[in-house]
Amino acid sequence: MKVVAVTACPTGVAHTYMAQEAIEKECRKRGYEVKVETQGSMGIENELEQEEVDAADVVILAVAISIEGEDRFEEKMDAGKVIQIDPGEVIKHPADLLDKAEKL
Amino acid sequence: MKKENKVFKDLQKAFNTGVSYMLPAVVVGGIFLATALATGTATDAGMEVTNPFMKNLLDLGIAGFSMMIPLLSGYIAYSMAGKPGIAPGMILGYVANNPIGESQVKTGFLGAMIVGIAVGYVVKWCKTWKVPATIRTIMPILIVPVFTTFVVGLVYIYIIAVPIGAGMNWLVSVLGEMQGGSAIVLGLIIGAMTAIDMGGPINKTATAFTLALMAEGIYAPNGAHRIAVAIPPLAMAISTFIDRKKYTSEDKDLGISAFFMGLIGITEGAIPFAVKDIKRVLPAIIIGSAVGGALGMANGVEALVPHGGLIILPVVNGKLWYFLAMMIGTLVSVAILHFTKPNLVEETQGKNNEFKTNSEDTEIVK
Repeated sequence: MKVVAVTACPTGVAHTYMAQEAIEKECRKRGYEVKVETQGSMGIENELEQEEVDAADVVILAVAISIEGEDRFEEKMDAGKVIQIDPGEVIKHPADLLDKAEKL
Repeated sequence: MKKENKVFKDLQKAFNTGVSYMLPAVVVGGIFLATALATGTATDAGMEVTNPFMKNLLDLGIAGFSMMIPLLSGYIAYSMAGKPGIAPGMILGYVANNPIGESQVKTGFLGAMIVGIAVGYVVKWCKTWKVPATIRTIMPILIVPVFTTFVVGLVYIYIIAVPIGAGMNWLVSVLGEMQGGSAIVLGLIIGAMTAIDMGGPINKTATAFTLALMAEGIYAPNGAHRIAVAIPPLAMAISTFIDRKKYTSEDKDLGISAFFMGLIGITEGAIPFAVKDIKRVLPAIIIGSAVGGALGMANGVEALVPHGGLIILPVVNGKLWYFLAMMIGTLVSVAILHFTKPNLVEETQGKNNEFKTNSEDTEIVK
C-alpha cells in the first residue's frame, strides 16, 4: 500500500517531526511505501508532488493547523481516501491510524 | 451535533494556525526586549534604556511585539478563508491592538482573535458571491478587502471594542495584582494544564492564555508555564537515571533524549512514557508541574519569551527561582514515580524462573 502524509503542528518543532517518524516507522513495519511531508516552523520539507499524491492509496493529514497546498488532496478527499487526525494522536497510536487507513 | 463539532474544530485549527505564524514574532520581541531592558536602569517609571545601541534593540523588540497581534489575526483569517483573508485580518488585528475610536479602546489579544474570526467568516461569504467575470478579477484585490475591512472594522469600533476593552482591562488588572494565595493557585492551574496533555490542546490553551497576558505586559504566568513545560520530560529522564529497575533499556534511551528535550522546554519528551504507563506518569507530572508553576508564581518569576526550559534562562526574571522551581517540581514528580512505579519483572535468559512481582501490573501467563 502507498501512503502519503503531511504533518503540521502549531509550534512546528516537535510534534510535527515526531508524528512524521511515527508514521514512517509504522508503515515500514507493515511493508508499506510511505512519504511524509512536514510543514514545520521552517516551512515545507520533503514536499509531496501531485503525482505522488495521485499515486497514493491513502492520504494522512496529521495536522493541527491549516496547511499549504491543501488543494493537492482535493481529489483524494472526494474519493474518501483522506484521514485527518491530530498529530498528538498519531504519536500515541500510530498502529490504530494505519489500521484505519487499511480499511478505507 | 456533528456540524457544531466541525465548526469548533475549524476554529481550533484557525487559532492554532494563527499562533503558529505569530510565534517567531513573539520570540524576537521577547529576546530583543529582554536584552535591552537588562542593560537599563531601574527608575520609578520602569526600566529606562539609555544606551543608544540598546535603544535600537529595544525598538526592534517593540516592533516584534507589535507585529505579533496582526500576524495572529491575519493567519486566523487565512486558515478560515485563504489568502484573501490575510490583509484584512492583519489590518484589523493592528486596529485591535492600538487605541481607536472615540473612547480610544484597545482590545489586545482577545480582540485580535475575534476580528480574525470575523474576517474569516466575512471573506468566506464573499467567496460565495456570484459575480460577472469582469468583476471577478478585482474581487480579491479591491472588493473583498475593502468590504471586509469596512464591515468588520465598523462593527468592531462601534459595537465590540468597548465591552472587550473593558474585559481585557479587568483581566489584566486582576492578574497583574495577583499576589500571595491567588497567584499560587494560578501557578498550580497553569502547571497542571501544561502537563496534562504534554503539548496537546490543553497545554496549548495554557500557552495561548500566557501569551495573551504577555501581550499586555504580564510575564509571570508565562514564567510559571515555562517552568512547567520542562518538568515532565526532565522528571521522566531523571526517573530513568535513578530508578533503573523500573525501566527497560529502551526507556533509558528515551530518558536521555527526554533530558535534552526538558532542557530546551519540549514537553513532548514525556509522551512516550505517558503512553506506556499513563495512570502513574500523568498524575506524577501534573503534580510536579503544578508545584513548579506555583513556586514560580509565588516568587515572581517572569519569562519573556514563548519558549521554555533552562535554555531561556538569560531572558528570565528571577533566574534562581526559575531554576529552583523547575528542580523542585521535577523532584516531586520523580519522588511520586519512585513510590508508585513497580520494579520491572527480572527476566533472565531461558529457564524457569521465580517471578518476583510486587504489582498487579505484570501479567503472568501460566
